[in-house]
Amino acid sequence: MLTTVGGFFYPNKRVNVFVGPLGSGKTELAINTALVLAEQGLVTLVDLDIINPHYRVRLVKTELAGRDVEVVCPPDELLQADVPALTPAILGVLSRDDQRGVFDVGGDDIGAVVLGSFRPYLPAGQYAIYFVVNTCRPHFTTAADIHRMIDRIERAVRVGVDYLVSNTNIGLETEPATVIEGRRILDVVARERGIPVAFTGVRSGIAETVQELDAGTPVFPLRLFMRPPWEKWG
Amino acid sequence: MPKVLMKGNEAFGEGAIRAGCRCTFAYPITPQSELTHFLARRLPEIGGVFVQAESEVSAINMVYGAAAAGARVLTSTSSPGISLMQEGLSYIAGARLPCVVVNVMRGGPGLGNIAPAQGDYWQAVKGGGHGDYRLIVLAPASVPEIIALMELAFDLADKYRNPVMVVGDGVLGQMMEPVELESGEIRTAPEKPWATTGQGDRPQRNVINSLHIVPEDNERFNLDQAAVFAEIRRREQRSEEYRTEDAELVLMAFGTVARVAKAAVDRARARGIRAGLIRPITLWPFPDESVRRAAAQAQQFLVVEMNLGQMLEDVRLSVNGKRPVHFYGRPGGTVPTVREILDEVSRIMG
Repeated sequence: MLTTVGGFFYPNKRVNVFVGPLGSGKTELAINTALVLAEQGLVTLVDLDIINPHYRVRLVKTELAGRDVEVVCPPDELLQADVPALTPAILGVLSRDDQRGVFDVGGDDIGAVVLGSFRPYLPAGQYAIYFVVNTCRPHFTTAADIHRMIDRIERAVRVGVDYLVSNTNIGLETEPATVIEGRRILDVVARERGIPVAFTGVRSGIAETVQELDAGTPVFPLRLFMRPPWEKWG
Repeated sequence: MPKVLMKGNEAFGEGAIRAGCRCTFAYPITPQSELTHFLARRLPEIGGVFVQAESEVSAINMVYGAAAAGARVLTSTSSPGISLMQEGLSYIAGARLPCVVVNVMRGGPGLGNIAPAQGDYWQAVKGGGHGDYRLIVLAPASVPEIIALMELAFDLADKYRNPVMVVGDGVLGQMMEPVELESGEIRTAPEKPWATTGQGDRPQRNVINSLHIVPEDNERFNLDQAAVFAEIRRREQRSEEYRTEDAELVLMAFGTVARVAKAAVDRARARGIRAGLIRPITLWPFPDESVRRAAAQAQQFLVVEMNLGQMLEDVRLSVNGKRPVHFYGRPGGTVPTVREILDEVSRIMG
């Protein structure tokens, strides 16, 4: 399930699917996973987010194209459309053994409904569903809150979550202690639910510190892509 | 209190709750739907009420009713929804009722698109409904400021018995920023002896409407309101100034664009151009005092907006021909970049 590169950990199934509450960081995790997998050859990154109008994978389509990541999303003229447009290429990624894919699913159970429609096509034994949690998000600060959303998403997809991903952060100001605190909450959920925490997502600047402080925790360093317009140049 | 990572749209809702608002009537529309989603979940948890109305016309009239009964009440929508609400807003203003309306603006005119825009400035500050009325209009530029201005919005609405609009756009609504939620008291609405809460011990029942059949009566009502508007103009202008002390070129922008402009000011300064920024926080009352003060020293102004030049007119009125006022805008749902603004600054400053 995980591959180690330079001491850090990355998801590595043929099909890696990220689900979770709105604003938990699924898109950043999906982009970063695709980029790591692309070091071993072409990867397809599927933008399955039909509920979030702005911060979606499709925003960085051109940037990723030069790095062996092909983004599957609606055609250019519908990129900003407020419609749940899904292309036939999505089925191709799921059904062809020679393709590797990363799926970024929309937030909450509402966003996960789309994944439910692809449930019959999820390739047995070749995929993993990762449930991403940021315990700094309002209303997802306790184990009980997290259990409730996992239940709702599992009902929407009609498939069980395989792994939890700890992605606790408050953006660029995140301190290592915040990350570790979030991981502790997720450990409780993992124990109560009997599914493992796959790894902890951490912005790259503090990934090494987190790994040192929280020995034994697999850490996935993240480069952040969904930045507001004033943090970009052109 | 530990910080939480909050979306702008959630912050509009959180700010309303902290202001003591327990009633929201709204109809979902992108790019503000997280706001209604958030309040639909939160309000029932704390003894409040959220009703998804069958349309924006219906939502604003539910607001009219709740405001008349003395509640702190909110509705939220995006541009086309605001257009639908104009009749109700005029009635609410005509009935002197406090309420708060959020507009997370999108690209127009018409159906337009769901991308971030500021094309509703005129509609917000010059009135889109009929008659001589004013909305107090607030324009936050960050997620923490959304919470602070939502609290202010409810206070101003009650203080002046006037509707308040808080405007954002898709960038601000969708983005996430850390917020430190101070623990502490949730505000409550002040006493409203005029509210229609049943006659009780009052000698006469309270009646709320916007009807003044005799023209002279209506004229008196309008003149009384003019005095209220003058007081708001005098007391409630708010703006943020950034590096304006020695600025030769003053940029003016609100909301999302102000943050892009701020980044451009820093880049310009690094190139030796003395640029600064005035960010109106109240779009009405427009902070003309700050602009007039700046015009005493700055040689030129550059207004940057996500429209074809709407706030531009208020800047020109405030500058009153004393300095050249330039404009750079991207309409229809596009956001000016740091590079574009810097190019414009460089062109002006030669």
